[in-house]
Amino acid sequence: MSLKRNAALWILWLGLTLAGGGALAAIVYVGGDRDLFLIGDTTGAHHQIEVACDACHTSETFADAETIQKDMNKACLSCHADELDVANDSHPVKKFRDPRNFRRREALDALYCTTCHAEHVPEETRVGAVTLPMDYCMACHQDVFENRPSHQGSDFTTCASAGCHNFHDNVALYEDFLVKHADMPDFAAHPVIGFSARSRATPVADALASDDARAQMIAYLKTLGEDDDDAAEEADERLAAVLTADDALAPAPYLTAGAVAEWAGSKHALGGVNCAGCHAPEAAADDFAAIEAEWIAEPGMDTCVSCHKREVGSFREGKHGMRFHPELPDPREAPENTLLAALTAMFRDAPLGPMPVAEARLPMKPDAMGRAAGTCTACHAPHESNLAFAAVEACASCHDDDHTRAYFTSPHFRLWEAEMAGTGAPGTGVSCGDCHMPKVELQRGNFFVTHNQNAYLRPNEKMIRPVCLSCHGLGFAIDALADPELVENNFNGRPSAHVPSIDWAVSRTQRRQ
Amino acid sequence: MRFSRIKITAAAAGLAVAVAAAPGSLSADSLDDATIPAKDVADMLHAVMESDRTVYTRLVVNRLQNEEQVIKASEFFHDDKALPLPAQMFRFGSEMVADKTDKFFYSLLSLWPINKQNAPTTDVEKEGLEAVADDPDEPFYAEEELGGQKYLTAVYADVAVAGACVSCHNAHKDTPRDDFELDDTMGGVVIRIPIDG
Repeated sequence: MSLKRNAALWILWLGLTLAGGGALAAIVYVGGDRDLFLIGDTTGAHHQIEVACDACHTSETFADAETIQKDMNKACLSCHADELDVANDSHPVKKFRDPRNFRRREALDALYCTTCHAEHVPEETRVGAVTLPMDYCMACHQDVFENRPSHQGSDFTTCASAGCHNFHDNVALYEDFLVKHADMPDFAAHPVIGFSARSRATPVADALASDDARAQMIAYLKTLGEDDDDAAEEADERLAAVLTADDALAPAPYLTAGAVAEWAGSKHALGGVNCAGCHAPEAAADDFAAIEAEWIAEPGMDTCVSCHKREVGSFREGKHGMRFHPELPDPREAPENTLLAALTAMFRDAPLGPMPVAEARLPMKPDAMGRAAGTCTACHAPHESNLAFAAVEACASCHDDDHTRAYFTSPHFRLWEAEMAGTGAPGTGVSCGDCHMPKVELQRGNFFVTHNQNAYLRPNEKMIRPVCLSCHGLGFAIDALADPELVENNFNGRPSAHVPSIDWAVSRTQRRQ
Repeated sequence: MRFSRIKITAAAAGLAVAVAAAPGSLSADSLDDATIPAKDVADMLHAVMESDRTVYTRLVVNRLQNEEQVIKASEFFHDDKALPLPAQMFRFGSEMVADKTDKFFYSLLSLWPINKQNAPTTDVEKEGLEAVADDPDEPFYAEEELGGQKYLTAVYADVAVAGACVSCHNAHKDTPRDDFELDDTMGGVVIRIPIDG
């Protein structure tokens, strides 16, 4: 009796072990929720994609440590390479490949991203997702006190303090830049964010509302630097492209008065984009049957990207859209073997999908918990002609932190209100988007609105050049961004501390001269 | 001192093929079997580097900045909408090569570096830079081991070939030396080629 019971227990134990082991193996190799394999919380942004393990862990099974680190570098760069490029990375990996730097590599192996940015170790993760002790600069820059007497008395844990140095991005902090902008006043005499003024301009609508649309349009284009002939030609093209409510072409159920009126006032209509341009993008513009057959009721990012490539591209690099980053792996496919597929039917990857607001780590409003980020229409309401909504209200409809709440009592918001009311000049208002999704300069005076809300945020000195310097002096901006309380209360007041970097740079330059 | 003979590297293949094509310069049954002494490879690489660098310095920077005054060269060429400095051009090339191959490395160092990171860090570098400063016409060669790998390290004098070199270095706020004259040795090109034990 006892033997039989023991045998049964052994069989039960064996069966459960095999089933459990099989289930774990299925999750690892076939599909299913890999939450249980997370060995520790991931850093701020990565938690959105942490169950897509193979986004970062790309090495073959049993690969050696060096291969794994190299593969990890590639994975990091598949999302962060452009950012490092824009930052004119001060410490690119290639700098450390030279054998003459082998002693430096022994002290700090900067060939690998994971040397400084380990994952799944929240207890060791510091500002900027750095997982090294903050005196890492000491590995290579021990001669700093000899070469920079101003730095004597500092210690290596303060190199990366706000407003001083960053490992990667020093475009607003390098010495000559500091000296060149040392004399800027705290506030510009006529503070205007030039690209914001252009971005919020409605030249076609303004021209149509004027007595002489062509003359007004030409005048506007000449302010952008176009010569007479080019301006006249482009003015004619732009005015000829304008569509009105009568031009709206859509299947009857969708041709509602409200939708048509909204569309007719939008930049899409003024730019010549008819309903089918988004709702049936593959159909010929004059083929109503095809438009009706191919009609998409709610066009998504795949449609928007056909015209707004940079915006969508950057959106997918930021926290709002990173779950749709093109470099992320697709969900794992079911095994081709029929038996294996049947045995593992309950183990399948679910697509990441848009990021639910409820899963955000930042404070969010209770009534936003049912929403998701990750789609264009989450902020840009369909047919919304006023981009101001996406620049402020959309953000505040979800975000509920001190910085966001304080914005509505800040000087920046007062300027924004004035501009929206028409009492402030174009580009003088400061919206959430103006700082967190700034207009990025391209070649030949062009720009685009980056939709990567993190691109100019971490570290926040990144914001200095594309944003703050439009209206503020460099010293003021450095001090303000280095003051966490001032940041939290959304710049209601003046910086309480002073970062001496400009003083030191100027002093050294003067001494040398 | 004798140095190992190395197989023609992919990076040096272009040079090697050009040399091999010259009658009598190499003897080998096939290109795959051809070998060139590491020292010669270093000399060939340096010939290309020095020539490119001189051309950029004289025909681009010195001509456009100093002679025709069309555009300036600046250390901060992105912000200043200017030409990269010759030393930066050289360094960018070196970093790009390091991205492509680990079969040789090169850098521009000096006993009087503007950027202190470009001061010699090994005994061989220091000895080599001092040697070419004393005798710019004679390259310096030595074998050294770094991080468990043996290298042929060759050092060649880096000479001020144009007025722009001298004026910029002497005026730079970080220069430890401001009395350079044309044709002075300002530093050295250090080429490293991994060699078998």
